[in-house]
Amino acid sequence: MRKFLFFIPFVLFIALAAFLFSGLFSDPRQHGSALVSKTLPAFELPDLMAPTTLYNAEKLKGKVYLLNVWGLWCPTCNAELGFLTELRKQGIDIVGLYYVQPQDSAFGESFDLTKLQQDVVKKLQEQGDPYRLNILDEKRSLIFDLGVTGAPETFLIDAKGQIRAHHVGDINPQNWPALGAQYQALLEEAAEHKPTAEAATTAGAAYAN
Amino acid sequence: MLTKFQSKLQKLQWLKTLLLSLVLLTPFTTSAAEELMQFKDAQQQALYRELTAELRCPKCQNQNIADSNAVVAVDMREKTYQLVQQGQNKEQVIDFMKQRYGDFVHYQPPVQWSTIWLWLAPLLLVAGLFFVMLQKQRKAQSDAGEQGAGKIMAADQELEQQLQALINQAMLNQTNQTSQTNQTKHQSAREPD
Repeated sequence: MRKFLFFIPFVLFIALAAFLFSGLFSDPRQHGSALVSKTLPAFELPDLMAPTTLYNAEKLKGKVYLLNVWGLWCPTCNAELGFLTELRKQGIDIVGLYYVQPQDSAFGESFDLTKLQQDVVKKLQEQGDPYRLNILDEKRSLIFDLGVTGAPETFLIDAKGQIRAHHVGDINPQNWPALGAQYQALLEEAAEHKPTAEAATTAGAAYAN
Repeated sequence: MLTKFQSKLQKLQWLKTLLLSLVLLTPFTTSAAEELMQFKDAQQQALYRELTAELRCPKCQNQNIADSNAVVAVDMREKTYQLVQQGQNKEQVIDFMKQRYGDFVHYQPPVQWSTIWLWLAPLLLVAGLFFVMLQKQRKAQSDAGEQGAGKIMAADQELEQQLQALINQAMLNQTNQTSQTNQTKHQSAREPD
């Protein structure tokens, strides 16, 4: 008994050391998302290139896709464009959500859509265009409802419009395998829910490839 | 040495003035920033202040949204202002933020199975320390008791030994005396010879 009591401080010290040591390798930016397993919040936002086209959560439903929050002002987003374009070539569906930074009118800044469109086209020509379409969120309303803290951030959305993953930071060859596996699993899940057996087999083949 | 230091301090007089003016100016600058926001009454203004102090900027490592100028913190302040103006109470605003940014966004963590240790750990620590202290005190008392009993026994034994020694001494003296008197008797008896 006496020997056992003697070891208690040692055990406590080891536990504390292990806890603090594991903290060295944790990413303070990753603190969980309140949005995972919720449906995409309601919104009504224009297309970046054709502002008369409006999108809402209902319109985007029916497909598995990545919703990528990005902006030209964000260097990490620009660095990520090349890899995302590669993913698009592999058949990954990516929808862009353009993050407009607040404009300070005191410094003569104002939002200029035509200028932005020109800059975006130029950038995507240079770096590659990973996006099926781009949603413009000028007031950051959907971005706020998604709990986005900055750019880039990426959401994995299933065919039912439910958010299944929230990735903070860039997508790169190191972290893509985990997210990619989740993406493929959702494709499979979506195929299972489709009534025709034919659709399921084609999706299965795509997964095998 | 001291005079050198003092002269250096005197040279830093301008720093003193600067710091003093900064300290004096701070309250004016904050009030100037808040004047841009119009509140219905002082209560709403107080609620807004309370909320922006308690809500945590999700982009920053450890700052409340009142303190941060990150875009997300600015947007959260704006949203807080709107919700407070709509007449929502503190809990409603915090819930609104938590739905979007998670429990991380509020400096007061919720009581859950995963967070219960935040309250239990200090209690357990205090209870443990109390237990250890009690145990130590008890041990010290019982030790003192044992030692006391031991001392009494030792003293008893010593007294016993001393007594025995005295008795022995007395007995020895007695036998010596009797033998001496016998001898003198003998001598006196022999004297007439």
